[in-house]
Amino acid sequence: MTLFTKTDCRLCDQLKNRFDFAAMQVDIEVLDNGDAAALAHLAWHSLVESARKTLPLLVLDDSSTEADFNRIEGYLIDKAMQCGLTIKAIPSQSISCDDGSCSIQ
Amino acid sequence: MTKIKGFIETSFIDWPGKVCAVIFLPGCNFRCPFCHNHPLLQNQDKLQSFLLSDILARLNKFKQWLDGICVSGGEPTLAPDLPDILLKIRSAGFKVKLDTNGSRPQVLANLFDQELLDMVAMDVKAPLEQAKYNQCAGVMVDLDLIRQSIALIKNSGIDHEFRMTVLPKFHSRQDIMLWVDNLSSGSSLKLQNFNPDDPLDPTLHQESGFSPEEFVELTKSIGLC
Amino acid sequence: MGVVMPLPTERKSKIKSFSKADSTDLALFVRTSEEDITGWNRQRIVDALLRETFVDPDTADRISLDVEKTIQNGAVKTVTGPLIRELVNAKLLELGLEDARRMHTRLGMPLYDVNQLLVQHNKENANVPHGPEATNLTLAEGIKKEYALLHVFSDDVADAHLKGDLHLHDLGFIDRPYCSGQSLEYIKKFGLNLPHGLSMAKPAKHAEVLLAHMVKFAAALQSHFAGAIGWDAINLFYAPYLEELSDRDVKQLAQMLIFEFSQQAVARGGQAIFSDINIYWEVPKHFENVPAIGPGGEYTGKTYGEYEKQAQRFAWALFEVYKEGDALGKPFFFPKPLVHITEKLFKTEGHMDFLNHICDVAADKGNTYFVFDRGETAKISECCRLSFKLEASDLEDAKTPWRMRYSALQNVTINLPRLAYRAEGDDTQIFSLITEQIKLAVKAHAQKKDFIGKLLAMGEGGPLSLLAMKLDGEEYLRLERCSYLIGMVGLNEMVKVHIGQELHESDEAMKFGLKIIAHMNIVCNKMNEKNGMKFVLEQTPAESTAYRFAKLDMAHFPKMAKKVVQGDLEKGEIYYTNSTLYHVGSTMNPISRVEREGLFHPLIEAGAITHVWLGEAYPDKGALTDFVIKTFRHTQNDQIAFSPEFTCCLDCGKTSRGLSQNCSYCKSEHVDGITRITGYFTKLSSWNKGKLGELRERYRNEKRFVEKAV
Repeated sequence: MTLFTKTDCRLCDQLKNRFDFAAMQVDIEVLDNGDAAALAHLAWHSLVESARKTLPLLVLDDSSTEADFNRIEGYLIDKAMQCGLTIKAIPSQSISCDDGSCSIQ
Repeated sequence: MTKIKGFIETSFIDWPGKVCAVIFLPGCNFRCPFCHNHPLLQNQDKLQSFLLSDILARLNKFKQWLDGICVSGGEPTLAPDLPDILLKIRSAGFKVKLDTNGSRPQVLANLFDQELLDMVAMDVKAPLEQAKYNQCAGVMVDLDLIRQSIALIKNSGIDHEFRMTVLPKFHSRQDIMLWVDNLSSGSSLKLQNFNPDDPLDPTLHQESGFSPEEFVELTKSIGLC
Repeated sequence: MGVVMPLPTERKSKIKSFSKADSTDLALFVRTSEEDITGWNRQRIVDALLRETFVDPDTADRISLDVEKTIQNGAVKTVTGPLIRELVNAKLLELGLEDARRMHTRLGMPLYDVNQLLVQHNKENANVPHGPEATNLTLAEGIKKEYALLHVFSDDVADAHLKGDLHLHDLGFIDRPYCSGQSLEYIKKFGLNLPHGLSMAKPAKHAEVLLAHMVKFAAALQSHFAGAIGWDAINLFYAPYLEELSDRDVKQLAQMLIFEFSQQAVARGGQAIFSDINIYWEVPKHFENVPAIGPGGEYTGKTYGEYEKQAQRFAWALFEVYKEGDALGKPFFFPKPLVHITEKLFKTEGHMDFLNHICDVAADKGNTYFVFDRGETAKISECCRLSFKLEASDLEDAKTPWRMRYSALQNVTINLPRLAYRAEGDDTQIFSLITEQIKLAVKAHAQKKDFIGKLLAMGEGGPLSLLAMKLDGEEYLRLERCSYLIGMVGLNEMVKVHIGQELHESDEAMKFGLKIIAHMNIVCNKMNEKNGMKFVLEQTPAESTAYRFAKLDMAHFPKMAKKVVQGDLEKGEIYYTNSTLYHVGSTMNPISRVEREGLFHPLIEAGAITHVWLGEAYPDKGALTDFVIKTFRHTQNDQIAFSPEFTCCLDCGKTSRGLSQNCSYCKSEHVDGITRITGYFTKLSSWNKGKLGELRERYRNEKRFVEKAV
């Protein structure tokens, strides 16, 4: 699994706070620090236009992709449980991205 | 197992309205002088062969693009294992179109019975008139078999098309009118203009098809445009 | 550098004495017979040196004496201005006054070259015919190119161009921006009212008059831009003029429009206007509620949303004309129709009929370009591949559509394979070399902007008066909103050099290619922030650049280049693969090609395209429609075009499908081929060697039977 994220993205941050990606063996690609490899990886999965609308994006092991935040969370919960990891509780108020920060330019 | 001797992954030509792949089976019982696929008749041993399983595996990743696979030739109804080939294509999730010269109606009937076809294109080489037909097919043809195939296809209830390659040397305007008449209404008809590049009969290389204006006018005049 | 400084004109002249010379002839040195040197005046040399360079009067005087001595000693019978100037330059060189020599240099061409030019065909751009106007253009371009390299760009930029590290496009048009996209609304609202025009026309009242205005305005723009002149939503903006017209009249208008643009061989340099028309079946969302301008430049009281049917009638008629072709049934070369495929198209009534109609044209004549605007993206396209995404400020402009005009000021293309030769397999090196080249391209852009800015600042009295006109309060060329294009040639070969495989040969090669383009995209974005200019990647059409780079690399990096240049080395028909395209000869089916090449497209924001070469096969229009819809739904591909090939007979005049050695009707060998060279159709006889090499290798998706390897 690969999760495409950026810094200063509230939705991305929520996931980072809840899951131990290293233990879950989920690769994290950060898109806004000038990393050409991350952007190329995004393009390889045909996700550049999607990332211009919303982040985070998840690529599953069968190369299928997911952009819906709730479903991404669902996949990650499943993965964490498979790995026998505990998951931190959901923050009291649900987070949404309404200021457009959760996307690349 | 019949060897597959030609393969196009994507064709915009072979299935009206659809993007399809095409496989070519070797061997033919006709010798149409204007044939362009003649390597399949004469030099088939020199040609590279493809395994159906490899082809289907390869096409699997294009499934959302390809509407089906066209089985062409040569004359595919000569292949004893044709039903098996079509079944495998169907099982792989592709629709099937068959190209035939209509010389083996019993094979066609069997394929219709087994519901293995989604589309049939039959080359009706000339109006149903013995001398003319023999000339265009390059062999003696039993026109009864051709008539049976036409009737079978018309009554099959599936998409179909009758086609004829035309060149002025063989096909007069009256011949073409008569051809249209023979096949009458209810079927899709299509004329293909002769192309002098590399025909089976090399002397035809010096011949020309109808001029573009004539061809357009011809297809329009018989309501095929 | 970068300073506009008028250079003196020089003319070879046979006037016996210059004492009464015309005031514009600043430097005449003349003698007509052996003994008669009366016209000679050494002071002229001194004057020129003091006027044009920073040489001190004493040095100037000494040089003039030396030159005079040389001339007196020589057995020459005639002395011309250029000769004396070169003698002076030689003295400056001897004295080590290199700056002064450069300032004093003259621009022009050797007699031999001019002679070649007048009798040989210029093949740099296949859109230029051979004729007196065309050679005028080439001569002028030659001098302006020299001027640009000496006087507009700094030495490092000019050297990089000359060495072939990068290519500064259209240097011969240094005093114009690169390309332009506009709205018909401008002339609908303001009429044809050009600076210094002999007469002014009020806004058109009839469709034919509007067409006349459009054609003239396009010609005026052609003489102010180097490249493409594009028109947005042409069928929609004509719509308010069509209500009273019968279907026959609409068809007639469509015919006039297409013939006018395809027969503009009387325009600049005999060069047809490189024109594009953008066409929509639906009314684009951003124009739906915009008040429509109709006859006389008046608002009609309706919005454009209410003109859908009229706009569709015109779009349909235009494609009927494309389908018919010209009087001989040949495809029209211009204007190129760009049809926008959008989500809204699929919600608009009649869209399947329209798609079949335009795919019929694509199958038969190849004209149609399919531009994919997925999601909410709105775009205007022009030039070979260039398209502009409409941003927030543009969508604001859409409310007053005459303000919608766009320009890319310049295009600079980077020679990617060369960077791979230099990097010698080192990853860090290859990326830092790319960054360095982009920085140099940015510098070139800033210098061109500076230069155009100065010309533009002279206003309506200056050389760019048309671009400075302010009919709507803003200058026609909105310099601060221009884009600056950064293109690439030979990604395929760069990847081959660096990792040993071409793009189509492995996923690894493709991923590396994506990383290169991602890096270029990121560097451009950083440069935007830093310079406050808009740098965007574009797939360079590279009609001659792909050939030029390959040739130069064969000269400078022969060992490495020999292994990767495409084409026929022996015949000299060599080229690099255009932009980020896959090798034209790779036996790749059209599906893989649009998918794979399309992966690059979202990173190349000023426009990208995939060509599907059709050869002689005549595809089914329904199959093409199916393919176009699937390309929209299943890929990231930005734009596609299907390119058939034709042979047209110069004896019997008939056109047949496919490229062949002789006419398939009368068997004459006196034939010419027609197909798409890069972004447009043209005749093969005008192609340069590199493109001919490419053509021979194009894979046309028609290889049926493969002989076994022995």
